[in-house]
Amino acid sequence: MNIKIALAGNPNSGKTTLFNALTGSNQFVGNWPGVTVEKKEGGFKNHDGVTIVDLPGIYSLSPYTLEEVVARNYLINEKPDAILNIVDGTNLERNLYLTTQLTELGIPTVVAVNMMDIVRKNGDIINLKELSNAIGCPFVEVSALKGDGILEAAEAALQAAKDKSSLKTYNFFSGIVEHALAHIEEATVHGLTQEQQRWYSIKLFERDARVLEELKLSDEQKAHIEEDIKSVEAALDDDSESIITNERYNYIEQLANRCCVKKNKDKPTISDKIDSIVTNRILALPIFAAVIFLVYYLSVSTVGTWATDWANDGLFGDGFHIAGKGEYETALETYMEENLFNNQQLGDILANAEKDGIVGAEVLGESFHSGDYGEFSENYDSYGANLDEQGYAVSKIVSPILDSAPQPSDYGKWILGVPALLDKLLLDSQGEPVIAPWMYSLIQDGIVAGVGAVLGFVPQMLMLFLFLSFLESCGYMSRIAFVMDRIFHKFGLSGKSFIPILVGTGCGVPGIMASRTIENECDRRMTVITTTFIPCGAKLPIIGLVAGALFGGAWWVAPSAYFLGIAAIVISGIMLKKTKAFSGENSPFVMELPAYHMPTLNSLVHATWERGWSFIKKAGTIILLSTIVIWFANSVGTVDGKWIFSADMDSLSGESLVQKIGNAFAWLFAPLGFGTTTATVATLMGLVAKEEVVAVFGILDFGGMNALAGYSFMAFNLLCAPCFAAMGAIRREMNSARWTAFAITYQCVFAYSVSLMIYQFGNFFAGNANIVGIIAAFLVLIFFVFMLFKKPYMKKGK
Amino acid sequence: MFKWLLLNWQSILVGSILLLGLVVIIKRMIKDKKSGKSCSCGCEGCALSSQCHGKDKKDSEK
Repeated sequence: MNIKIALAGNPNSGKTTLFNALTGSNQFVGNWPGVTVEKKEGGFKNHDGVTIVDLPGIYSLSPYTLEEVVARNYLINEKPDAILNIVDGTNLERNLYLTTQLTELGIPTVVAVNMMDIVRKNGDIINLKELSNAIGCPFVEVSALKGDGILEAAEAALQAAKDKSSLKTYNFFSGIVEHALAHIEEATVHGLTQEQQRWYSIKLFERDARVLEELKLSDEQKAHIEEDIKSVEAALDDDSESIITNERYNYIEQLANRCCVKKNKDKPTISDKIDSIVTNRILALPIFAAVIFLVYYLSVSTVGTWATDWANDGLFGDGFHIAGKGEYETALETYMEENLFNNQQLGDILANAEKDGIVGAEVLGESFHSGDYGEFSENYDSYGANLDEQGYAVSKIVSPILDSAPQPSDYGKWILGVPALLDKLLLDSQGEPVIAPWMYSLIQDGIVAGVGAVLGFVPQMLMLFLFLSFLESCGYMSRIAFVMDRIFHKFGLSGKSFIPILVGTGCGVPGIMASRTIENECDRRMTVITTTFIPCGAKLPIIGLVAGALFGGAWWVAPSAYFLGIAAIVISGIMLKKTKAFSGENSPFVMELPAYHMPTLNSLVHATWERGWSFIKKAGTIILLSTIVIWFANSVGTVDGKWIFSADMDSLSGESLVQKIGNAFAWLFAPLGFGTTTATVATLMGLVAKEEVVAVFGILDFGGMNALAGYSFMAFNLLCAPCFAAMGAIRREMNSARWTAFAITYQCVFAYSVSLMIYQFGNFFAGNANIVGIIAAFLVLIFFVFMLFKKPYMKKGK
Repeated sequence: MFKWLLLNWQSILVGSILLLGLVVIIKRMIKDKKSGKSCSCGCEGCALSSQCHGKDKKDSEK
């Protein structure tokens, strides 16, 4: 026999944490409403034939929101064998409202009072026995986060499911209401089972449209119960739905006064004190900006960079030292000072190139004169080839010097990186591959370079996910939704739109899907369109790449990418809301701010690893396959009009398939500053997965892009159409090919406009303005300003 | 033929490993896609995953 136990409770009461603990699942846990939008099932650990069902968080069983409909339909139509109602012990009064409704369903219910550790810490006392007597079902203490009492609560629910004789129905309403309910029961639902009669009669009293439709009452029956309802409404001077609500709350209030003793009832809690600062009208935004700045700065520019540099240069580079690094660095420094930085001829070439305005000459020259080899090497890798192409043969001087430089493997304990290790296995003593040259190129130039470039960003990504998980778990991100709601409302947007954005920082797909909690169709569509503007985990490598390679790890680049995303969402929201298709009242946003708490290390590591592991898996599957495709497209091409395959197309002075594709679209991106083959191919491949952008740069050269073009490239790739998986999610959520096409077109056009303005205005301020480009950027700016300040569209008659 | 095999055994070995790896990856991706485990973002932990994948959706509708 299969027993089903449903977990029901208010949003953020700990249902999913309990579900994960009982079933051993890894469902995403979040402390804002809408994390669980649909029910989830899992087997109760060590209990064969027992299924636990996690329902979305709801405040009541009224059918107003999607979550309520999902939970209510399940409880009424599928009738689980028992309900385990999770209530937040720190906020008992509000949670018991749903409990009173659940006990009327005729399903055995056990109430698990969660967060008892905090209740005790606050010095509060809850009389569970008294509550149990008053509500008519067992009450059990739990602390889902710490794992205390979880099993006992589930066992109690299992026992209740088996022993249905314990089912009791308690009356919470005043005499006049109970009298009317008895009449309704007698007149209409007498044919239903004993347990169901109470719930249906209350719903009929409330004039619940769905129940009225479901029961298919005759006109005579409807008229009869309407008489009863109207007489109660007249006597209590209120509508029937409000009467039921008020009487429930009155009952709960009296019950809470009897059963709960709060030590510091009117004193502000620590959470209240923190909230008075972080949700303060003036301070909230600067604090949010500072927190996000810190998160991105630490993840991308400091701790993450050290780890990523090690991964890129060590693990997926030549190798790394376990000991003797200092010795090697001293030897290298001395050698470079004597051979490289004292080379007058190189200094003269760089000076001439700088005078002629060659891209990269200035930075390379600066690092040459500063004598910092690390900086010089980085700039040489980026711009050396470009200088050679422009006729300034720096490599003729630099290459022999580098070839004779001290080898790191000669000092201390040196561990070979993956490419170096493969070279050791695949090259003979003359440096020739022992396997077919094309296969060697596929492995080293395709797979290792492409996948390695992406995997190199894993440490940065783990750092970012760790920080974001901490902000989510401790309760700060819920405050951000609240703060943003205040700001969004000023522009006619809903704070509900910010929840999908929070979810979208991990991945755009669940972010887009989280938009379904928004009831207003216009707001929902708008949220679907704008959610992917926020940088998801897959876009972090793009940010890291541009920040590291073109801005030398500048502190402001990574945080600016996040703020660019937020700005894009707000600006798009305001602009779209002014149009006929998106005009209208925004949906109200009600959310509960959870108490701040220190997340457990286990939950943080788990959340971080869950996200990081999916990224690693993606690198080993879709990214790996794509790198092979790019490598192949780069190895097939035409020489003198004939199609050939060569692992080194560049040396054949022909045009590879990648170049042909890149060149076919490059003109499109030329006004944005990155009309190069590589950047174009990277942007196109980003549609497969955003990490592909970095993988392409691992296989193909950077192509002499300057910092401004790099920032424009980053902005375009952050804001343009997301990956195919996210586009699929947009299609599903829009449920319309026309709206999907609009969403993707809007994202691309918006991204193009922003990048155009960044590049053209940037060039203008740098004194390199292109007259056509600046006029185009100015026209776009005027359109944006016009849309931002124009009067909202008003429907006729309003 | 034998001589050719002897001359190219290293390429054959590495090529076979590569090919095997690719087959495993593609099979795994197809299997994951069908069982609702794959997405651009590891949706095993996503509350909405059954909405993305046909099989799961059918299961939940049952």
